[in-house]
Amino acid sequence: MSHQSIYPFAAIVGQEKMKLALYLNLINPTISGVLIRGEKGTAKSTAVRALADILPEIEVIEGCPFQLAPDDGVGLCRECFRLDCREKRLGGDKTEGIFRRHIRVVELPVGATEDRVVGTLNLEHAIKKGEKQIEPGLLAAAHRGILYVDEVNLLDDHVVDILLDAAAMGFNTIEREGVSFSHPARFVLVGTMNPEEGELRPQLLDRFGLSVHVEGIMDRNDRVEVMERRVAFDEDSTGFAARWAKKSRELSDRIEIARRLYPKVVIERDQLFNIADFCLEVGVDGHRGDIIMMKAAKALAAFSQREKVEKSDIETAAEMALPHRMRRRPLMEIGDNAKKIKEFRREAE
Amino acid sequence: MSIDTFPFPAIVGQEELKLALLLNAVNPRVEGVLIRGEKGTAKSTAVRALAALLPEIEVLEGCFFSLGTEETDGFCKGCRLCEGRRPAVRRPVQVVTLPLNATEDRVVGGIDFEKTIRTGQRKILPGLLARCNHGILYVDEVNLLDDHIVDIILSAAASGVNTIEREGVSFSHPAHFILIGTMNPEEGEIRPQFLDRFGLCVEVKAEKDRRARVITMERRDAFDENPSDYVNRFDSEVRTLRERILRARLLLSKVLISGHLRVLIGEVCAEARVAGHRADLVMEQAARALTAFSERTEVTKEDILRVAHMVLLHRQREASPPQAQDKEEEENHGRPHDRNRPEETDQEKNKKPEQKSGPAPAPKSRENEGNNTCEKPVENPEKNKESETPVNPETLQKIFEVGATFRVKPFSMTKDRVFRRGSGRRSRSRVNGLNGRYVMSTLPRGSTDVALDATLRAAAPHQRGRRSACAIAIEPQDIRIKIRERRLGNFLLFVVDASGSMGARGRMVATKGAIMSLLLDAYQKRDKVAMISFNKAEAKLALPPTSSIDIAARMLTELPVGGRTPLNSALVKTGDLLRSQFVRDPTSRPIVVLITDGRSNVSLNRGKPMDECIEIAHHLGPDKRVRFIVVDTEEQGLVRFGMAGKIAEALGARYFQTEGLKADTLVGLVKQE
Repeated sequence: MSHQSIYPFAAIVGQEKMKLALYLNLINPTISGVLIRGEKGTAKSTAVRALADILPEIEVIEGCPFQLAPDDGVGLCRECFRLDCREKRLGGDKTEGIFRRHIRVVELPVGATEDRVVGTLNLEHAIKKGEKQIEPGLLAAAHRGILYVDEVNLLDDHVVDILLDAAAMGFNTIEREGVSFSHPARFVLVGTMNPEEGELRPQLLDRFGLSVHVEGIMDRNDRVEVMERRVAFDEDSTGFAARWAKKSRELSDRIEIARRLYPKVVIERDQLFNIADFCLEVGVDGHRGDIIMMKAAKALAAFSQREKVEKSDIETAAEMALPHRMRRRPLMEIGDNAKKIKEFRREAE
Repeated sequence: MSIDTFPFPAIVGQEELKLALLLNAVNPRVEGVLIRGEKGTAKSTAVRALAALLPEIEVLEGCFFSLGTEETDGFCKGCRLCEGRRPAVRRPVQVVTLPLNATEDRVVGGIDFEKTIRTGQRKILPGLLARCNHGILYVDEVNLLDDHIVDIILSAAASGVNTIEREGVSFSHPAHFILIGTMNPEEGEIRPQFLDRFGLCVEVKAEKDRRARVITMERRDAFDENPSDYVNRFDSEVRTLRERILRARLLLSKVLISGHLRVLIGEVCAEARVAGHRADLVMEQAARALTAFSERTEVTKEDILRVAHMVLLHRQREASPPQAQDKEEEENHGRPHDRNRPEETDQEKNKKPEQKSGPAPAPKSRENEGNNTCEKPVENPEKNKESETPVNPETLQKIFEVGATFRVKPFSMTKDRVFRRGSGRRSRSRVNGLNGRYVMSTLPRGSTDVALDATLRAAAPHQRGRRSACAIAIEPQDIRIKIRERRLGNFLLFVVDASGSMGARGRMVATKGAIMSLLLDAYQKRDKVAMISFNKAEAKLALPPTSSIDIAARMLTELPVGGRTPLNSALVKTGDLLRSQFVRDPTSRPIVVLITDGRSNVSLNRGKPMDECIEIAHHLGPDKRVRFIVVDTEEQGLVRFGMAGKIAEALGARYFQTEGLKADTLVGLVKQE
């Protein structure tokens, strides 16, 4: 995919909730992802692909197949197959071959086979050299980045199992086809889905930190705006991107500031109690809801360049962190939950 | 792996879970623990944190099987993996993770092609079962583990020995391990045989106490911000705990249990009607571990009672299902009601007189629901006109609410050798696409799905005699292909009679409850469902084949009832749908559930509806690819027509008479041969 063909993120009309959820994940990756639910043609996939435009930068070791940062431990390097890099790292040389790049969006296609996802034996090397060497999969590529699954509800069942495994552990263990290896795999899981095609399993649902529902825009001016921008982009994508470059820059700067501000954001104990009460009241499974809600609230404050969490932050966080987590029978709709949350809020006021 | 794990003492609450893990750390003969619970309750976190607490054991340096010095004599002679005797070293008990993606060769072990090529001798590469000897085998999401791998683990756990018998090598080694698994029951259960292998079982729930929840949040946040700092903060606590475990281990052999307490254990187990004797043994070991952990040497009654629950939870016969059944029922009653409420207000003008004449709503009584409180007119204004004309049950359409649901016993097609396409969880089948889980390899049979690893292993021992430009010469006889396996969802087609006669006496309520139960089951098994409903003039495809069970559930809730019984049209439609299904997937094996009272009264041509119906059924019946189930909803009474029975006969279907479709009868229904 060439860089020019990406629609600029800043040029997406409306869908503020979805955009916000994505920003929050960039500010704090441990929010661990967002599930974007909605009908077809609502810029779901466009938005995720366009993210590349505004992603923050990280430091990585050049060519590292596991996306390690320079000051990561060398435990993994000991077993790595890149010999010269391994020598250097084990020799304590941590300065060479470091470069900065944007964090990556790795796409997991719905038809992906298991061995490509987890990693497998390197075929070429095995035949040429007669040696075992691991060929890292998508989970290795997505470490410290974003793993994007389009139509996540259509994903093959056993690939979902693998994702659950990796997302829960924070690292991926390969025990197959004669190779045995494990490497870190902490990623932001971003999925899009159209609920008409079937729901996600609750277990996978819970791995997404936030969930947002997107709808077609109802305002006719905005709709016209969508058309105009799309046409302009299709006609001259480079020019269009150049025109939006400044806006994109502003946006990524703002996210960078928020990233730096995040550790300084304080949330008061009373507010934590509010979160706990809220989660108990609406009935969420487990503690992940509480934790994500707190992180999202802090990230929201950071995004607004505040160092204190406010009530509105918690409320917005609840809307994104809870609807897909509320205890429900398997066949209850997520839409119903969103309504319920709003009702609770009204009662609280 | 140098990844920081959340420290064990920092886990808030979950005392039962922590105790179960600690008992295992103290006494390996407790035989593991299964942790069941909802998501996000520190299940995996606790297990991974346990690794930091485990005491050291003495093993031979570099031994693949973690053998201790006293075990070597018999074994080491046959094992050529390390040369000569090794010195003993101390290292912590290991936690070996079995990932869901594991293939058979890595679990059992097999030939090491790299070494074999280099040396020309068959060298063994030990698998996970070797690595976890004297350690812990940990499976996250254990209920999602492939059946094939489960079989291997079961046989190793039962005998304490793992035998590698493949690729020209034959080798056995000891495999004594503790099995720790976590699972979320929502995703399906595990086999009883496997269940019994776990010594203890704990159910975890989220903390209900708000203070505990706040502390959980704070700790997690602190950990995420700076993991290594956080781990350091708990360093001394971890060390104290580790020392305590070590002391308990040493004390364990001195712990005594008196005869009458053994009797007590026997009684407790007998009372719980557990199968087999493992429960008794595990309970004694667990009680002793607890005693040692409390730094005492005499087991008390309290110790036994403290651990009894964990031992018995998963072994009791007819253990209560994990979800509270009552609550589920309540929700079932409540929900459709709410959903229909707006319609009610819409139609208030039309409906008021009728509703007032009925008795007051009594949500608990099934009879009343069926006849009065749940009858809802359909939005369509045309039909409202009809409903105003007072007594015409044939044309009036009503919506009944969904009756109580229940747990469906498993039913699946038997596994055969036909290769299929698809994805799901009901029936296990070999698949020929590239998408199944690679479980093992075999000699080629016309497939191009080469299992490279197995091919290399097959070629490795012959490298001396071959020459090639590459490091390894592969000849045709070395080629192995992959066998992939996955569970296929079935295709369930519901053909539901929605005629007026179904509306009487709450039959539709119970019927809907039954279908909803099957849908819930279908959800866990990832089945595809479709629904044909028939009433008034003809049958219609109410729900085209879909894997969205949610849509099916919504459809069902809103299914109106009333009008005549065009059963013939429904059967024709069924035939059409099956035909198109077979075009799409020739190997699929659909299950058709026909729910009707069989009183067909609309014919397609001019003939008698009933005769025509039987004739159509005779046409559909012989197709061996389809399984039919007929549920007769006709009431038992003086006058019975028994038409559904005749249709079932013509279809070659399994036939069930149901008086009001009681739950247990339907459980019997879906439990197939």
